[in-house]
Amino acid sequence: MILREPALKLDPRVQRLWMVEWIGAAALAAAVTVVVAVPLALSESDVAAVVVGLGGGLLALGLVVLAVVQPRLAYRRFGYEVTELGLYVARGRLWRRWQVVPHARVQTVDTKRGPLERYLGLVSVGVTTASAKGGTNVPGLAVEVADGLVEELARRAGIEEGT
Amino acid sequence: MSPAGSTRARLHPLAIVVFARGMIRASIIPVVVVAFAWRPTFVVPGLLALLGIGAAIVVLEWRRFTYRIEASRLIIERGVLRHTTRVVPLDRIRGVELQAPWLHRVLGLVRVDVEAAAGGAGKAELTLAAVAAAEGERLRRALLAGTRPAETPEEETASERVLYRAGLRILVVGGLTSGRYILAPLAVIGVLANFADDLPGGFVEDVLGSAADRAPTDVLGISLLAVVAVLLAAALAAAGSLLADWDFELADDGERLVARRGLLTRRSVVIDRARVRGIDLRDSPLRRAFGLVGVHAVASGLGGGRSGRAVLAPVISTEAARALLGELDPDARLDVPLEPHPVAARTRRVVRAIALPAALALGALAAGWLWVAGGLLVLAAVGIPLGLDRYRQLGHGFDGGRVTVREGSLTRRWTSLDPAAIVSYSVERSPFQARSGLCTVVLHLGQGAGSRRVLDCSEAQATALLVRLDAPLLGVFAITSEPRPSRPGLAP
Repeated sequence: MILREPALKLDPRVQRLWMVEWIGAAALAAAVTVVVAVPLALSESDVAAVVVGLGGGLLALGLVVLAVVQPRLAYRRFGYEVTELGLYVARGRLWRRWQVVPHARVQTVDTKRGPLERYLGLVSVGVTTASAKGGTNVPGLAVEVADGLVEELARRAGIEEGT
Repeated sequence: MSPAGSTRARLHPLAIVVFARGMIRASIIPVVVVAFAWRPTFVVPGLLALLGIGAAIVVLEWRRFTYRIEASRLIIERGVLRHTTRVVPLDRIRGVELQAPWLHRVLGLVRVDVEAAAGGAGKAELTLAAVAAAEGERLRRALLAGTRPAETPEEETASERVLYRAGLRILVVGGLTSGRYILAPLAVIGVLANFADDLPGGFVEDVLGSAADRAPTDVLGISLLAVVAVLLAAALAAAGSLLADWDFELADDGERLVARRGLLTRRSVVIDRARVRGIDLRDSPLRRAFGLVGVHAVASGLGGGRSGRAVLAPVISTEAARALLGELDPDARLDVPLEPHPVAARTRRVVRAIALPAALALGALAAGWLWVAGGLLVLAAVGIPLGLDRYRQLGHGFDGGRVTVREGSLTRRWTSLDPAAIVSYSVERSPFQARSGLCTVVLHLGQGAGSRRVLDCSEAQATALLVRLDAPLLGVFAITSEPRPSRPGLAP
């Protein structure tokens, strides 16, 4: 343990969002495999077709497995918290990352809603700083929670700058 | 014809040449490709016509390019077909660099590069391709004056104090120890190999063949050849260093650091002292043996990608560097003992140094390439002392004033950093690190200054460093006995 667990969790629906994203990737991999392998098979390059088909199929299968497993793990290991002075986000299980962004250094607070997120009623909230890699984001919050978070982050960042 | 205030100024006509060069570079390949497709009789008139059109466009481009400073904004208008206007508020300008490539120097001109912060994380660079040297200086002063809030307009620059001047000898030694030119012979061979197919009649093969025939095969001859090659590479290295850093001078006018250097292209970089957030010392094993280091500024707004802008001393003796450091940042300290990292970090450094060549060696062995495998095994063996030294160099410290981090062996970087420069913090831990109880602390710096990391420290060290760096912010996250605080109020 390096830093303690953040207090707040994402909206559980984010698991569905991530699952759909993984399945989308799997579908893409499968589609590309078919598009490449079928003409190969037709042009009698059987070995190449088998290699491509097997490789692509395994990749797609792996992505499907990830789609089942990863969202639950990632959800369980994602936490965030807003304190007096900063936004704290911890994520990941194997490759774990803890980020602390002080409110005083926040340049923008933004929200993002893709079509899928809109369908699920989720919002992703991000903060940016003067450092390109120094920001962070909190994906998959319920709309009301996200509104409150944006409000609070903007207020705290603004207070620091305004006074 | 130095333009005052708000009059629109045009670039020096030499800019036409600069524009033309850019245009030729952009269009040479398509033009050549197209020309090959033409009928032979059409090639010469066609190319002449294109040349005429190109010349007209370039001249028009120069005619339409105007700049002015108006209401504390820099306004650049340009464009032949599509007219564009760029407006940059002066307080967004982070740096101005004057450069004088040789043609500019002959005509007494400079190129002005303006680095500006665009909205968000992006940045933009504006270039005035050629203006008179005096106008360049005036522009620099006017543009940078805007970065400072309400201040009396500066009269002639206050007396400059030279902090460091690189002598001929140290530049030569610096070039010899830089290691930068070790790859030069390889590059030459690569270029030759590329051209070999294009030259008529197997020219290169003939030359190589006759060279091979005449090449000495006895021990004495080969060693003589090797000595000549080494001397040649050394001469190249020294010459390169002299060319780039000739008469290097770092001066301080109280508020800005000015670094000037270069033999053919004379460059000068101005760094606002307020933007210098730390100092990097960089060296290599060879330079360590000679007691030499390079000094770089950790500063925002220097355009992180471009190398060489933040150089405060290309090569300097360690004692002189200590004195220079005292001048640049009295709080920076290099003699404080650094906290060593856990022994597990040593294992990790060594494993990582030998893993890749060892794996490749196994592959080569499996493929039956014995010579390749042998070479890779030697590389892997070299990785052991390399990894050990990388571990020895690892360290960090915080004396309440400056954070110090050090890592690397072949290029060692020793950074002294003002904690005020840190924009945000993160801690990263891979599964391998987790098994050894290690992690990496990353300190993100603003505006192109990048980040510095504390590599492979123990979890306790990471927590302790973070809490000491910013207790009010980070102290609440450090592990305490209480499990979870009450949910922070989202609504006030």
